[in-house]
Amino acid sequence: MAIEARNISKKFGTFQALNNVDVVVPTGELIALLGPSGSGKTTLLRIIAGLEQADSGAVYFDGEDATDASVRERRVGFVFQHYALFRHMSVFENVAFGLRVKKRSERPSNSEIRDRVMELLRLVQLDAFSARLPNQLSGGQRQRVALARALAVQPKVLLLDEPFGALDAKVRKELRRWLRRLHDEIHVTSVFVTHDVEEALEVANEVVVMNEGRVEQSGPPDHVYEHPVNSFVYQFLGNVNLFHTRVRDGRVRLGDTVLECNGSHGEAVVYARPHDIDILREADGPDLIAAGILRIHAIGPIVRVELQRDGDQQIVEAELTREAYAAQRLIVGENVYIRPRQAKVYPK
Amino acid sequence: MDLKGRRRRVLPGFGITMGFTLTYLSLMVLIPLAGLFIMSSRLSWTDFFSRAVLDPRVLAAYRLSFGAAFIAATINALFGFVVAWVLVRYRFRGKRIVDALVDLPFALPTAVSGITLTTLYASTGWVGGLLAPLGIPVAYTPAGIVVALILIGLPFAVRTVQPALEDMDVELEEAATSLGAGRLQVLSRVILPAILPSILSGFTLAFARGIGEFGSVYFIAGNMPMKTEIAPLLIIIKLEQYDSLGAAAIGVVMLVVSFSMIFIINMLQFWSRRYQ
Repeated sequence: MAIEARNISKKFGTFQALNNVDVVVPTGELIALLGPSGSGKTTLLRIIAGLEQADSGAVYFDGEDATDASVRERRVGFVFQHYALFRHMSVFENVAFGLRVKKRSERPSNSEIRDRVMELLRLVQLDAFSARLPNQLSGGQRQRVALARALAVQPKVLLLDEPFGALDAKVRKELRRWLRRLHDEIHVTSVFVTHDVEEALEVANEVVVMNEGRVEQSGPPDHVYEHPVNSFVYQFLGNVNLFHTRVRDGRVRLGDTVLECNGSHGEAVVYARPHDIDILREADGPDLIAAGILRIHAIGPIVRVELQRDGDQQIVEAELTREAYAAQRLIVGENVYIRPRQAKVYPK
Repeated sequence: MDLKGRRRRVLPGFGITMGFTLTYLSLMVLIPLAGLFIMSSRLSWTDFFSRAVLDPRVLAAYRLSFGAAFIAATINALFGFVVAWVLVRYRFRGKRIVDALVDLPFALPTAVSGITLTTLYASTGWVGGLLAPLGIPVAYTPAGIVVALILIGLPFAVRTVQPALEDMDVELEEAATSLGAGRLQVLSRVILPAILPSILSGFTLAFARGIGEFGSVYFIAGNMPMKTEIAPLLIIIKLEQYDSLGAAAIGVVMLVVSFSMIFIINMLQFWSRRYQ
């Protein structure tokens, strides 16, 4: 089922949590609402679920206005960051909850409930744990129970609020891969909220980057990552180096690199990702940026080099592959030149 | 330094605090209770039974004391939950005042509450005047005793449930609602099971307090033998007749019954807490 949120605004007291937000989720997609805390992503998710009421705007499910529908009527599956499992019920009963509370006329028989619950527990690979209580499970297992519970009522959409936020790094990684696979299997329209860029880019078909109650950019992960529309998105999606420059005749000079810029005059900031910075030992032309090497972190496959520019003493970070680092044999304290292979200019 | 045989505890002061606890409990609780048993042991078994167990007047008093306390505690558990719910879940004007009112029965001298209730519930009083034409006498009946015990026990029921409700995650209710549960189903399947242990503790405290309550009941009960005479009053009567052995015997019976009932409720509570 497709979800549309149109012109959603929401205030908490004087705090504008959402400001005219438009988000469309096509049927069967898995999209990520990505943003820093306070960006309104969770509020938007809760408004889609019906757990929160928008001040203005509308929510459509498959083109039908669901703005005033209650949480029950919306038939959404909601997964909470802290699982919200019923502690006094076994894993089995937690998953069965949504079926047991159905009206008698719609309620499946006990044997049907058992079959359905066990099928779901197999899906989340917890069929051996059906008799356990939630506090006898690990965090990752609990979140899988929460997911099975949400899926038991065959929701039209699945909404996940920072589903892996409370888990440790390794389990997170496992679980998000698993969520991706699960979505490929059952194809339920899903929205998940996260502040973890890697998670959003890895799991979602489409990423909606939010900031201060607005949508900054949305699109497929690789497109958003390669073509950030503004400095916020650029900075939020990864590590950056900032170079303050001036625009002259629609152009910006950074060392010997010349970049086009929309604004014709005034100040501008050039953004370059650390992995797009080349380090040169010998100047191969005029106007290169000179810098000294402050520190080298050579742990893992990527070597991080911290440099300080000669002119304005600014710190620049570069990332090299282990091979490039081995070939160059850089030493701390050495004077070198840097050149951004790729950079973006956003006027100030 | 003796580090071999003993495991060092992270929290210091176990020895001294445990010692203090035991001394304190002995002085304040165990020794007086033991004295009660020693005193009543001067009675022979037959004497003990004929005075404190088989005497119909005494039996009626036990039934009334335990019965009224049980009914009052049950009512308190129910309405205490509602009061706690309102205090935790809603914001309204004068909430702090209502919150403070809950503790008032603690502070009020029990005789004062007894006299006030009697005046109110007598057939000439404000409330009693309304109930009397309906054929529901309250003052000077067992119902009056229950009313007094409800007043006395209410703070326990509210104050034990309140923190449990405050700690309850709203997300649990949201999860249940999103799964299709209605308000009543959320209440009966999610909220009540989660706070049942606290409701049971509130019940136990109110019940225990009700069994021992004397001051407020004394005024509203009318104290008719076999009808509205509670066991603590019988003890006083025995003492006034210089029958301190008989009083001690009744005390022992009440103690044993109370202890076993509270023990059973605590076991229930332990069971209801098994998943925590």
